[in-house]
Amino acid sequence: MIGLTGALDEARIAWLTLADRVEGLAHPTLRLGVTGLSRAGKTIFTTALVHALQRGGRMPVFEAMQSGRIARAELEPQPDDAVPRFAYEEHLATLAEARAWPSSTTRVSELRLAVRYATARGSLRTLTLDLVDYPGEWLLDLPLLAMSYADFARQSLELARAPARARVASPYLAAVAAHGADGPADEAHARELAALFTAYLSACRTEQVAMSLLPPGRFLMPGDLEGSPALTFAPLDPPDGAPRPGSLGAMMERRFEAYKNAVVRPFFRNHFARLDRQIVLVDALSALNAGPAALADLERALDGILAAFRTGRNSLLSTLFRPRIDKVLFAATKADHLHHTSHDRLEAILARLVERARGRAKEHGAALDVVALAAIRATREARVRRDGLDLAAIVGTPEKGQEAGGHRFDGEEEVAVFPGELPADPDSFFDPAGTGFRGLATGDVNDADFRFLKFRPPAGIGGKAPIPHIRLDRALEFLLGDRLV
Amino acid sequence: MSDEPARMSPSAKRPQAARPQVFRLDEGDITLAPPEAELEAGPPEPVPAAGGRRGVFSRFGFSWSGLFWTALGGVLSLAAYVGLSQLVSDLYAQSPALGYVGLGLAGALVLAGVILIGREVAGIARLAHLDHVREKAAAALADDDRTLAQGVARDMLRLSAAQPTLARARVELESHLGGIIDGADLVRLTERTLLPTLDSRARQMVSEAAKNVSVVTAVSPRALVDLAFVLYTAVSLMRRLAQLYGGRPGMLGMLRLIRHVLGHLAVTGGMAAGDTLVQQIVGQGLAARLSAKLGEGVVNGLLTARLGLAAIAVTRPLPFTALPAPRLADVATGLLRKAEEEEQVPSRREQAGR
Repeated sequence: MIGLTGALDEARIAWLTLADRVEGLAHPTLRLGVTGLSRAGKTIFTTALVHALQRGGRMPVFEAMQSGRIARAELEPQPDDAVPRFAYEEHLATLAEARAWPSSTTRVSELRLAVRYATARGSLRTLTLDLVDYPGEWLLDLPLLAMSYADFARQSLELARAPARARVASPYLAAVAAHGADGPADEAHARELAALFTAYLSACRTEQVAMSLLPPGRFLMPGDLEGSPALTFAPLDPPDGAPRPGSLGAMMERRFEAYKNAVVRPFFRNHFARLDRQIVLVDALSALNAGPAALADLERALDGILAAFRTGRNSLLSTLFRPRIDKVLFAATKADHLHHTSHDRLEAILARLVERARGRAKEHGAALDVVALAAIRATREARVRRDGLDLAAIVGTPEKGQEAGGHRFDGEEEVAVFPGELPADPDSFFDPAGTGFRGLATGDVNDADFRFLKFRPPAGIGGKAPIPHIRLDRALEFLLGDRLV
Repeated sequence: MSDEPARMSPSAKRPQAARPQVFRLDEGDITLAPPEAELEAGPPEPVPAAGGRRGVFSRFGFSWSGLFWTALGGVLSLAAYVGLSQLVSDLYAQSPALGYVGLGLAGALVLAGVILIGREVAGIARLAHLDHVREKAAAALADDDRTLAQGVARDMLRLSAAQPTLARARVELESHLGGIIDGADLVRLTERTLLPTLDSRARQMVSEAAKNVSVVTAVSPRALVDLAFVLYTAVSLMRRLAQLYGGRPGMLGMLRLIRHVLGHLAVTGGMAAGDTLVQQIVGQGLAARLSAKLGEGVVNGLLTARLGLAAIAVTRPLPFTALPAPRLADVATGLLRKAEEEEQVPSRREQAGR
């Protein structure tokens, strides 16, 4: 870990942790990180979590809630004044009034909840819960800290030239071929390359391709750094030996280092290194929708995310100075897109994706669990009898503009969907030849093995009624249960 | 949307795997799940028998001692039959009326005997059912098996049907059965919903029995009285615990239960002794110095408490997972002298506070 951060950062992290702990003595505090690659459902999870703690609901597995020990949960001013607040009220209003999903997370945001609860013995306590919601793409940047520009360039270009991405990457690759790293350092060229590189990265995220491993993460979500030199670089074929001073390669290298210093390190220090618990949301269904290449890419991206985690049980000394995440939950979101009989298989696929992390977490004494959940459940279940088959289907309202079987949905009509059947053996999906199953990217759209439509949120959110969910209670029990006893 | 059903054309290349399809709700043959979806209530999967079989004979439960008892039972039945029929025919020879009376009495004897045996068998079956449910629950916890766990929850609902105070808890659990809950979670939920009241009552029973035993031992004039009272209390405690958890054993069932409890004590007694041995010795030592009878009382009380804990472990239909298992200190605090009790209570509070 020292190699990744450097001694100075370690000292700063220790100082911040110590400050957190001193504050924690007076008010027990839990920092829960909510992350996931884009469109995994971070905003929805956070919104549903806050709603569940505030309004309660049907949560049989969340013991503290079910036995009525949680008296109330109130929103409080957050501790870090420089971090945007998670716009809980706006997101809830979007869900309730427009019956649409809230806009996605593009930056780190925070929300503080004070949970007033009774211990099992009856005394009243308060647990301060800090929710830190940040894009998972930023986690993919953390491995960059240990990389030089040459490593980064080699790896990125290798990925871009892989068959699954080569088509969308071709304009950028052409530009790389035109501008060698030995050319003069020209700002116009650098801007053109960076723009093409960004365009290639965002093209990788469309529904047909659905790639996940796309560092540097801030290119897709620039925020207020847009246009700054730290974001105006791109991988070039590195020359043999050190780049000539004044060349395009040298300029790119300098900017890459600036990116690390101005973007990646502060995020690691100020947010990531201070988390106590972490939930990583994974949209495995989109990858299945797109095809084997997307799934393999997701696996690589998760691997990158996992490398970043400082997991392990806290000892007394390490708690004071070096924070560690002692519980990590991997959640396959959008489980409501499948019939519940397939949930175990979805969990098995996710468990297969994070297999390596599980071993590492166990080694360090951290608890790791895998769950298939839907923070907000948008569908009901049904059974359909067709051609002698009894199909386990789901019923929901597809979003306007979604297409299946040559039909465009108008956003009002409810339909039953049989999304395809997940295999009992997850290994069959991870066929290195990429022939484990067929997705939208594989060829004919009507020949795909799976089709997961996007559904609108359920009607009736926003009133007094609880929001329907799948296994949100289990996730809460795992993440918070032991702190509410 | 046209009138044509919006359906993707099933691929002819792979007919065995069902293709993704979209159906309109007004097409036929679509069964919507009710809002609180009731899951398909298939019969619970049988638990695979643990351990291997030794041969064809053991598969049918063959053993020489079994054969001996079966044969003995058969011989005795035949003897009883011969004796009875001889008696009836003798009576008939004396006077037909006497013969009919004798026949009627013999019939009543046989009928009552059959019913008694039936009740014993049912009692044993109920105890065996508790064991079976516990095994199923353990398997569901280990494998996170949803079907198995639903079977456990349904079994528990049936077992607790006789407890009027659990009506609300039963309704609550039934409402959760339709939801999407994983196997292990469902078992824990069942335990948390149905068992706390029963557990606290069981704890109370054990604690009271232990207290009674220690008081009676302390004041009784003769050792024989103690012994009889301890035996009586222990047996009735076991019976009441089994009844509480839904077992209702008969006479033979009781014997079986006692065997189980003693077996369980033999396994866990040593370990349980480890954590409280010091307390016990101190308690007994102080009490014994005051009076030998008092010391005996404490020992007998502790023995009863431990027996009660073993009986709880054997009769409780679910293993302790979501709820804490009772410890000796929970049921035997009243036995130890006040001074030690005062020492214990703050230390336990500290534990709970942490």
